[in-house]
Amino acid sequence: MSFLAHHPVLRLVLSPQHLWRTVSLGLKTIWLHKLRSFLTALGVVFGVASVVAMLAIGEGASHEAQEQIKKLGSQNIILESVKPPDSQGGAAETRSMVIEYGLTRRDIDQIRRTVPGISIVVPSRILTEIIWNLDRKVDGQIAGVLPVYPEMRNRKLLNGRFFTEMELEANLPVCVLNQSAAAKLFPLNTPTGKSVRVRGYYYKIVGVIEDDSTQAGADSGGGSSNATAQIFIPSTTLMDQFGETFFRYKTGGFEAEKVEFHEAVVRVGDTTQVMSRANAIRQILTSNHKKEDWRMIVPIELLRQAERTKQIFSIVLGSIAAISLLVGGIGIMNIMLASVTERTREIGIRRALGARQADIVVQFLIETTLLAGVGGVIGVIVGLAIPIAISHFAGVTTVVKAWAPALAFSISVLTGVAFGIYPARRAAMMNPVEALRHE
Amino acid sequence: MTSPASQNLPIIRLVDVRKSYQMGSLTSHVVQGISLDIQAGEYVCIMGPSGCGKSTLLNLLGCLDQPTSGDYFLGGKNVAHLNDDDLSEVRCRNLGFIFQSYNLIQQLSVLENIAVPLYYRGASDKEMRQKAERLAEQVGLSHRLNHKPNELSGGQQQRVAIARALVNDPLVILADEATGNLDSKSGQEILGIFDELNSQGKTLVFVTHDERMVQRCKRIVRLEDGLVAHDMPGGAALSEKQKVESGKQKQDLQVPSPVH
Repeated sequence: MSFLAHHPVLRLVLSPQHLWRTVSLGLKTIWLHKLRSFLTALGVVFGVASVVAMLAIGEGASHEAQEQIKKLGSQNIILESVKPPDSQGGAAETRSMVIEYGLTRRDIDQIRRTVPGISIVVPSRILTEIIWNLDRKVDGQIAGVLPVYPEMRNRKLLNGRFFTEMELEANLPVCVLNQSAAAKLFPLNTPTGKSVRVRGYYYKIVGVIEDDSTQAGADSGGGSSNATAQIFIPSTTLMDQFGETFFRYKTGGFEAEKVEFHEAVVRVGDTTQVMSRANAIRQILTSNHKKEDWRMIVPIELLRQAERTKQIFSIVLGSIAAISLLVGGIGIMNIMLASVTERTREIGIRRALGARQADIVVQFLIETTLLAGVGGVIGVIVGLAIPIAISHFAGVTTVVKAWAPALAFSISVLTGVAFGIYPARRAAMMNPVEALRHE
Repeated sequence: MTSPASQNLPIIRLVDVRKSYQMGSLTSHVVQGISLDIQAGEYVCIMGPSGCGKSTLLNLLGCLDQPTSGDYFLGGKNVAHLNDDDLSEVRCRNLGFIFQSYNLIQQLSVLENIAVPLYYRGASDKEMRQKAERLAEQVGLSHRLNHKPNELSGGQQQRVAIARALVNDPLVILADEATGNLDSKSGQEILGIFDELNSQGKTLVFVTHDERMVQRCKRIVRLEDGLVAHDMPGGAALSEKQKVESGKQKQDLQVPSPVH
């Protein structure tokens, strides 16, 4: 043990007493020059705080985006009917025409037949209607869907159940409300078991489903009722009751739309096949439709784009953070060089009393590491406070992953070491005789 | 505290030691070939006019610097050509330094200052505390252990420095104008401490201008132009010699000669 005790670095590593002694000496020295130490550490504080805060904000934004996309289903291809823009307005006669657009039965059947490896196609129709509960009403949408709808679209049931295949076969007038509709129509009690009315039709509520989080203004967490009120009934029932055409009355005439399916969701069995199937479906629809009356959303592609965006964002953030830490590190080196010059005499004394060059290096390195470390801790605290404040006041999601503060702190310590080595070595290399003569 | 060396082996032996410095194209020969033996327990004063090389010689003796040529045997071991780490070891374990301006570390307390050489030797916390306390007591500073240097008088600070120099039980104590910054009273006190150390067997090698020290030391080495000009007994040795001689004379006078 006595041999090991001779070596400056081992001595510190093996003896907690000596380590503590050197660390407390470093702390005392830092405390002696409070203002200077604080200003030096500030560079590291900014660097670390910005790393942690920006990572949290970036993660939050990316998380939000990814959650929304995941809700659409990464194995899904979503097809939507879109009202072609050039069919608006025009001459007085055209206002009385029936406008036909969107996905047709023929499209769906062709897709089912020709595109391999797809498991289910969920055709649905959505109409805009007023939904009534006794004398309470809300503007909303009525959608005719199949029972697998919640699974396909990753929407959780909050109460009760979705309607069944049997109910679909029997064209039963059952329905499921979304959270927004339930809140608006049944503010005081649970809707399950009660009824709602659309036009002249009554539907028994069998369950409540969560809101569609991809809708603008919807809060994916919290049950805000900004989402459109929706009521889901079996697609067969909808077809039965509302037919394929519906009329909308406007001043000076009426407008009729004929849409077979507003929306269809195609689920691909294998995520690696999604893009190729999407291309196949695109070809079918392009050849079947002359007008731009449909749209395809491929969530997995969106997800990939989101990933790429996140990567670029991370690189940019990383560069900014690296630059801030670099600046912080240079600040430390600058101060330490000044400190070494100030303490030339002390270095000479220590060397005369038996300190080796390595002892001096260790002494100064510990000081810079402490400075950078303290700056890092403060930086992490500030860096965590910022996203919390932003989340709280601006309602923006931020996500702090456990590794972010740990990474930022480690980098700050490394900065201290890296930028402290040069001053420490300069201190150690001084000639003891000259150092003793100094000042 | 007796030194490990035997009577015949000097504790310090310089063999044709030279030191030169390069300054641009000029070479300055500061020490020009000094050979010197110092035995254990000696009290040596090194003196000389300014520029004679005495500070350089002291630095060489203290292993703060290395000779350009020649050999330096300290405690029987040639330290003239050691590497930096080994030289640091030698300074730590075998040498004690006392400076004119005390050179204490301002941020450390008295106790911590005394303990610094122990730290660099790898001593445990407990050992550091015990030895430092013992030495503080020896120099009369037990009541000031937690004070900082700027709270002490010059004489007290120099006493801390002396305690520090003794803490690793070195072979030789070296000092450069130890009383130079002290008033006459403090100076006397310090000289008294040195006398006592020497009487306990400590080897002292001091550079000085102080006449009082010259009177108390046992050997004077006078340098001129980088060489030993005179090497003679110091005040204490002279008075010793005088005492012995006068004692002898008295004996001669007193004994009657019965038959011659």
